[in-house]
Amino acid sequence: MTAMNMAGFPILTTILMTTIVGLLVIIFIPPEKTKLIKQVSLASASTGLALCLWLYHAYDFHKGGLQFVERVLWVKSLGIYWFNGIDGINLPMMLLTSVVLFTAVWTMWELENRVKEFYALVFLLVAGVYGVFMSMDLFWIFVWYDVSLFPMYPLIAIWGGTRKEYGAMKLTLYLLAGSAFILPAILFLWAKAGGHTFDLFMLQKIGFSLFDQKVAFLMLYLGFGILAAVWPFHTWSPVGHVAAPTAVSMIHAGVLMKLGAYGVLRIGMMLCPQGAVYWSHLMALLGTIGIIYGALVGLAQTDLKYVIGYSSVSHMGLVGLGLATMSVNGINGAVFQMFAHGIMTALFFSSVGFIYDRTHTKIIPELGGLSKTMPIASAFFIFAALAGIGVPLMASFWAELLVLTAAVKVFPVAGILACVGMILSALFMLRVVQRTFYGDKNPKWEHIPDISRFLAVPRVVLMSCILFFGLFPKVMLDVIQSTVIPFVTRF
Amino acid sequence: MGALFRDPVLFATVLGTNLPFLSMAVILLFTRSKPFVSSRISVCSIAVSAVCAVSLLVRLFSAPALQYQTLWFSSDKLNITFGYYLDPLSLLMLTIVGIIACLVQIYSLGYMAGDPGYSRYYAFQSLFAWAMMNMVIAGSMLQLFIFWEMVGLASYFLIGFYYEKWSASQAGKKAFVMNRVGDVGFFLGLILLLIAFGNLGIPELNHAAVTHGLPQGLLTVSSLLIFCGVIGKSAQFPLLTWLPDAMEGPTPVSALLHSATMVAAGVYMFSRIFPFFSASPDTMAVALAIGTVTMLLSSTMAMVTYDLKQVWAYSTVSQLGYMVMALASGGYVAGVFHLTTHAGFKALLFLTSGIFIHEFHTNDMRIIGKKGGRKLKIPMVCMAIGALALSGVFPFSGFFSKEAILTVLASQPSKIWYAAGLFGAVLTAYYSFRLIFHILLPKGGIEEAHHEEHGASSHEHEEGHHGYIFWTMAVPVMILAGVSLVLGFTEHTLEHFLMRSIQVPGELVAPAAHAVSVAAHVAAGGAHHAHEAGSPLLTILGVSAGLLGIAIAWFEYGRKGASRNGFLSYFPAIWKLFDCRWFLDIFYRKGLDTLVYAGLTSLFTKNDRRVIDGGIDGICVFTEGSGRLFSFLQSGMLQFNLLLMVLGAGAAVLYFVI
Repeated sequence: MTAMNMAGFPILTTILMTTIVGLLVIIFIPPEKTKLIKQVSLASASTGLALCLWLYHAYDFHKGGLQFVERVLWVKSLGIYWFNGIDGINLPMMLLTSVVLFTAVWTMWELENRVKEFYALVFLLVAGVYGVFMSMDLFWIFVWYDVSLFPMYPLIAIWGGTRKEYGAMKLTLYLLAGSAFILPAILFLWAKAGGHTFDLFMLQKIGFSLFDQKVAFLMLYLGFGILAAVWPFHTWSPVGHVAAPTAVSMIHAGVLMKLGAYGVLRIGMMLCPQGAVYWSHLMALLGTIGIIYGALVGLAQTDLKYVIGYSSVSHMGLVGLGLATMSVNGINGAVFQMFAHGIMTALFFSSVGFIYDRTHTKIIPELGGLSKTMPIASAFFIFAALAGIGVPLMASFWAELLVLTAAVKVFPVAGILACVGMILSALFMLRVVQRTFYGDKNPKWEHIPDISRFLAVPRVVLMSCILFFGLFPKVMLDVIQSTVIPFVTRF
Repeated sequence: MGALFRDPVLFATVLGTNLPFLSMAVILLFTRSKPFVSSRISVCSIAVSAVCAVSLLVRLFSAPALQYQTLWFSSDKLNITFGYYLDPLSLLMLTIVGIIACLVQIYSLGYMAGDPGYSRYYAFQSLFAWAMMNMVIAGSMLQLFIFWEMVGLASYFLIGFYYEKWSASQAGKKAFVMNRVGDVGFFLGLILLLIAFGNLGIPELNHAAVTHGLPQGLLTVSSLLIFCGVIGKSAQFPLLTWLPDAMEGPTPVSALLHSATMVAAGVYMFSRIFPFFSASPDTMAVALAIGTVTMLLSSTMAMVTYDLKQVWAYSTVSQLGYMVMALASGGYVAGVFHLTTHAGFKALLFLTSGIFIHEFHTNDMRIIGKKGGRKLKIPMVCMAIGALALSGVFPFSGFFSKEAILTVLASQPSKIWYAAGLFGAVLTAYYSFRLIFHILLPKGGIEEAHHEEHGASSHEHEEGHHGYIFWTMAVPVMILAGVSLVLGFTEHTLEHFLMRSIQVPGELVAPAAHAVSVAAHVAAGGAHHAHEAGSPLLTILGVSAGLLGIAIAWFEYGRKGASRNGFLSYFPAIWKLFDCRWFLDIFYRKGLDTLVYAGLTSLFTKNDRRVIDGGIDGICVFTEGSGRLFSFLQSGMLQFNLLLMVLGAGAAVLYFVI
């Protein structure tokens, strides 16, 4: 079955509907039937995954460009379209979202507290994420963006852990502050273009003046940058991770942070290419600071989730640096890194979640010697740590290679500093691994059984994802590059 | 896929190099709880790999270099290929790796018997063999780097195998991080080449360097950066301290890491792109200096330690220094030849030490001597053979390769390198025989009773010295001893064989005849000197350096009534300096602690907590506070509001009037 056969079928809306239908069905299930709720959630998430996999398979990267387009005029007077499409940049993001949702739902199988509300909110959140990624209409992107932000507050404040109210509040305020930059920027561009269309591609054809581009891009960069945990707007992210329950951390770090980088790329760099070039030094600077700073602060953390949170800051810095190069390799690497980091960090949080569920602590000095009692659960974390270090034959290695190659070429100093960041990341990942999993058998955890086969499934799915794209980077890069090559000609 | 089965060479290559990976996967996924099955799977697969390697060597012995490659992926103008490059150098190394890894795994059947992590051990051994073999036959520098990192990863697991011991996991981490430091240089060098040259194929790179296809500046900078990788992996001067710590791993692991694999990878990489390096005289000069410093520094460290494995560890570092010296002064064949012979006798030394350690449960050579180490005749003889080879005594393999290296060094314009080489040879012989005499002729004789008691009380599988366990360990050792005896005589065959690998780049890439001759001439310049090795004076000097070292050791530790303290004990300060590894470790520890942990990390953490979070929380407090202030205005008290209104109106009137 090729894309042509399916041309008439609104596959993207269908993917979006899997989450919304899942949400509606869950709402009508009595809250005490937790098993059924979980089964419905898993079924809906799996449908999404299957559809995204099919989408990935059916996307024709030889042809490139926007495919599976659905475009219906919605509000004529304002120029709002129900406009969805897939290209090489959002296709990996769609796949990422579906994989992370699927594994997050499965990871939370042991949830007992307010199951119904939890899964309903998760599906609402992910509906927003799918929406942002697939939509090609600025209005809808913003709407879906806010849909994805609001469920975070209750999800963290109700099911969270350490300092949950503080974390939830901080996260929400930060992200809303981001929206406060994004909305004016979007309206500004819309108004400058004559106020009759929100269609991204029509807006792209209008050459905004250089000054307008500079202003709009800066606002978009700051607004979306907050979500991508760009230094110095990153502190909400580790705090939020620590406070959030496992699945929310997975979705948050795995997917939500990517929305920020995606927004910068899709809206900022697409509509304001000259503005992006103007600010590229700032982006490279903040990205590089993020890489080094995140790794160094990560070295001092004693909470497992804080460590991962700061590693995310570091890895997202790499995405920023890649985007800043405005070159094919840099953006290829950045998008690849978004995908690779999403999967890797989901694996991280998923394994920490298991450890926390069993030991009720994620303070590193209290742990130690876990490899003896739960070798398989530990192996998952160690695997993720190796991916985080950038060990070859894992997806993130290729992303790093591409970003650093581009960075050394365009910003030599930043590129070299980012390479030095590789040493730091090795140091802090291995430090955590050593203190948490190595060492003598810890009598406190001796009674804890290892992870069950059932609960190992989502972790294995994530691991195989990392390995698959590490061994066959072509599968991802051909897709990404089909869109990025025409994209960079505008800079 | 079809080509894979139609071409026996490709089939043997793919099978031989990837079988260990398969065995690792099977062990980790299915047979983790069945140590017996796991170990047999691993040993069988590495045996098949070794057979494949040997058959490839035989089949391609006089064939031209073969190259297989396919596009891995491309991004923009970067074309990343995956491929194999089978030339004399890679075939020789593949064979060495295959055979040593196979012998070590057989040996481990006995040494590791009864260990709770038996399956895990074999899984990591397989991972290691896979990574190393793939690194050896890599067709491009990027692929080499990838498997180079995998080798580092596997060694991290193997060094930290006893992870419940803090020192072991610390050593694994240290090895990985220090290697990373070198690898970042390597990586940057590759990126630089990728940007400026666009191709990382090994033959292409060598060819371009030889035919001046690369600008000199680029060549020097990138080769210096790539040499950082050699420094890290082969434990050269500033980054050498991880290697002695790596002794925390099980002894067979040390044997594997220190002979043919891990640390040899650096030297192998150097020789792999030897024409590229040799096209930059500056890099060669730096490498020569670093190799020399490393060689001398680590020899001095070996002179004072009493730990069996530590002695061989330092000696490995110093021998690697020798190889780097040889390569850096243009002695391609001498360097690779020493790599080959060293692989044999160093594996031998470690494996025999393992037998002693397994028997006496200590690493201290004095205690082993006292408890009657010399009664283990086979290991004792084998260790002596290894030590003789290491000291460069005729007819053992080390003699030939050390002579080759010294000849190359003597051909350098400055004689200081040759003198350093000779001095190093004295030190090498001294510390090796210091160890041998400690075990053979212990201070105060053998304490009989003690040993008996010990032997009876300890291990459950010490069923006499001639059981299954003993023989699985003794047979590989005896094979290696035999190899160390005969390997030296293959020098000329190997030399002719290897010289072809230097000429290959020209033939393969550009059929133009002049390119071939240039490649052969420039890159193999040094090697021809080795061929001319015949100056009797040099041989006499080399041999007497070794004998002098042995004689000093005999005088101090061997002869009747010897003090058995070593002359260095009269200089406590120097002893301390050598014993503390020239304070390199302390320097790094302090540097890391003050700069990273106490400095940047805590500064940035405070910045996060106080400045950024503090600022944001401050804004929140301000917002909340001002909210309270304004809510005070909305108090609902009519008179108060009226008063404000009147005052406000009054102020407005005043403003407009005035």
